[in-house]
Amino acid sequence: MACPLLRQCSKWNANCSSLFETLWYSNGRSVSFSTSSLGRTSWSSGPGNEVSLRLLSAPGRECCRNTGRSPPNRAAIALRRRTGPNTFNFTTSLTRHKLRLLDPSLKSCFCINSAHTDVKVQDPFTIAQEDLTNLYDDIRKELFVTKELKALCHYYFDGKGKAIRPMIVVLMARALNSHSNRSGELLPGQRAVAMITEMIHTASLVHDDVIDGSNRRRGKGTINELWGEKKAILAGDFILSVASITMARIGNNTVVKVFSQVIEDLVRGEFMQLGSKENENERFKHYLEKTFKKTASLIANSCKAVCVLVTSDPKVHEIAYQYGKNVGIAFQLVDDVLDFTSKANHLGKPSAADLKLGLATGPVLFACQQFPELHSMIMRRFSSKGDVDQAWQYVFQSDGVEQTKNLAQHYCQEAIRQISMLRPSAERDALIRLTEMVLTRDK
Amino acid sequence: MTLSSRGRRTLSLFSSSAPSNWSKAVADAEKIVGYPTSFMSLRCLLSDELSNVAIQVKRLVGTQHPLLHTARDFVFDSRNNLPTRGLIVLLLSKAAGPSHTASDLLAQDTVSGIHTSQRNLAEITELIHTAFLVHRGIVDLKEWTVSDGPLKDMEFGNKIAVLSGDFLLANACTGLAQLNNTKVVELISSAIGDVVQGIYNENTSNTEENSLDVKAWEEHTFLSHGALLAKSCQAAMELAQHDKEAQSMAYTFGKHLSMGHKLNSDLLPFVKSSAGESATFSFSAAPVVFHRQIVGQERWSQQLQQVKTRRNELDYSKLLAAVKSEKGVSTAMDLCCYHGNKALEAIQAFPSSEARSGLENIASAITKF
Repeated sequence: MACPLLRQCSKWNANCSSLFETLWYSNGRSVSFSTSSLGRTSWSSGPGNEVSLRLLSAPGRECCRNTGRSPPNRAAIALRRRTGPNTFNFTTSLTRHKLRLLDPSLKSCFCINSAHTDVKVQDPFTIAQEDLTNLYDDIRKELFVTKELKALCHYYFDGKGKAIRPMIVVLMARALNSHSNRSGELLPGQRAVAMITEMIHTASLVHDDVIDGSNRRRGKGTINELWGEKKAILAGDFILSVASITMARIGNNTVVKVFSQVIEDLVRGEFMQLGSKENENERFKHYLEKTFKKTASLIANSCKAVCVLVTSDPKVHEIAYQYGKNVGIAFQLVDDVLDFTSKANHLGKPSAADLKLGLATGPVLFACQQFPELHSMIMRRFSSKGDVDQAWQYVFQSDGVEQTKNLAQHYCQEAIRQISMLRPSAERDALIRLTEMVLTRDK
Repeated sequence: MTLSSRGRRTLSLFSSSAPSNWSKAVADAEKIVGYPTSFMSLRCLLSDELSNVAIQVKRLVGTQHPLLHTARDFVFDSRNNLPTRGLIVLLLSKAAGPSHTASDLLAQDTVSGIHTSQRNLAEITELIHTAFLVHRGIVDLKEWTVSDGPLKDMEFGNKIAVLSGDFLLANACTGLAQLNNTKVVELISSAIGDVVQGIYNENTSNTEENSLDVKAWEEHTFLSHGALLAKSCQAAMELAQHDKEAQSMAYTFGKHLSMGHKLNSDLLPFVKSSAGESATFSFSAAPVVFHRQIVGQERWSQQLQQVKTRRNELDYSKLLAAVKSEKGVSTAMDLCCYHGNKALEAIQAFPSSEARSGLENIASAITKF
């Protein structure tokens, strides 16, 4: 049997597919999704066939290429979406009999790394600590403005945030500096990038809270709750303008371009959240694209920005970008899982918040495969009475949460694969360790 | 209801029916730069996101959300809502001519004496201005009462207003990045920050109780209405590699022109001869601010009391008469002329040209009533 999946692949090829759809299809065809081993997942597709997918990333140009003329038992198909520079590029390789999925697994990665570096993998927070100590103070200094607006702009830079984005940025910067034979020390521009990342993130949170009508964040009232919507929007705009000034002062045009892409992605991602797709496969693709734009683009492009400042090698830029992109998507997938599994207020916001906003995230989309009843609820954005509770029940009766976690794991593995291409350093290993923390975090 | 009428008033500041000599000066000037009236980037207008917005805005029809008025003014009032900021940036770019220090390569990249980058900058200036027209129209939901209409409409209107404003700003950011000049990015980003502060101040000082003195009025007005044009004019010089001196002149021109224009539009309700017209006006309009400073806070409070109707609403026509009876209006006119003249002065160092006369016509038009 030439594997029905192969036919599917050519179909995807025509449709310009992505990994998600790949996963989606395998799932949709009631393929069992084994989750037993960490870092390795297999689908059995059809009788006796174990199919595995390998994520590869290639710098994207507009193309849709089928290289399926390789030996009969092995076909690698590069599937590339046509649109935009920020596409998910994956190569799907499959064999008839048995393929290992997403190697190197998390475990083997760690083995490889310790063999290379002989450095005990430290906690990323500890390593990044020194660079991040005064980050919030410095951001507040940049946000120089008088009177009340100051209070609003400083509100979320109180040092109580997780600062996960700046942490990734400074670790990436030091890892890249080591890779490029510089001292590991941060360049001033790289530290500025860490600040800009947090500022852009915060500005988008402030606007999102108005759009979503949220009244709680990080365990306190949102800006719109305390000062009203008008002022909240202006505060967000102001933080963005300061971020923009800060990036201009780095004096590097590429850095400015990289960040302007982020700002565009953030808005487009928010627009994507307005609509629902009727077609289920479209819907998953839409969800992933939205996830990329709303969360991963900032991390990916920030990683690229610190890279641009230290090397002009596009291959290294791509490694930094891909690490950030994959970690970013995994981060958001876990966030979507936590919206279901975290105890109320653990995240500093009520749980099932996404459902209440009418948003169908990973766990619901996976659950919908087992419970088609969810389809109409998704389409009406859980607006009828009892929809939210019902959807919640379906998610827990299905393995939607588990499958979303698996997907997150895949992205983390790809992130590890990417970052492992850098020369060994304590910071590089901390970035590997960080992917694990992304997966296991509970808030 | 006070909320929405106030919102509408603020939004219409630049779309008020301007005197004909202004329109003529602008129309003539447009021919000089060889461009149609709209500088809004087509890429942006034709995007999926904005067509989505257009569909969503339809859902707001019949509601009180200010976004509806912004959109209506933008689409139907285009004759009065000319993208004049972009036009002025273009005229100034042309009037300044080629820089002596610019490389030959740069000089080649011009159409009717204006660099492509300067045309892009003009578009960016318009995008930013429009973004803030939209963001100005966000409604505070807690101040919204049931009698004003369904809260759901306002929530939805806000959502669309936030998104479309952000979308315009994001496009401006992308455009800025493509100019490949970090000095210009810094300058225009700081102008965005200025506009935000200016609008923020409008929100906190636009009340009966909160008095604004003339000095504060000038500061606020510069931030909300002057900074963007002043800094865009300066940036246009930077893009053509003009020296610091030319940049400073351009900045001065943009600053005084926009201050004069704001004074001119603030003065309109007070100088219109048509009697009995019940024009409303903002308390932060220049003639009111000056009047209040001249007569003193106590007298002003008395005047406010005197013009209140039985239902405790303000009779604007009576208040208008009270303001007109004192020196507030003439003081504002004097200041308007001062800014107009300063703007004219600033461009005298540029060589005499059609573009410079276009700018001169615009600058003179703001001092005519």
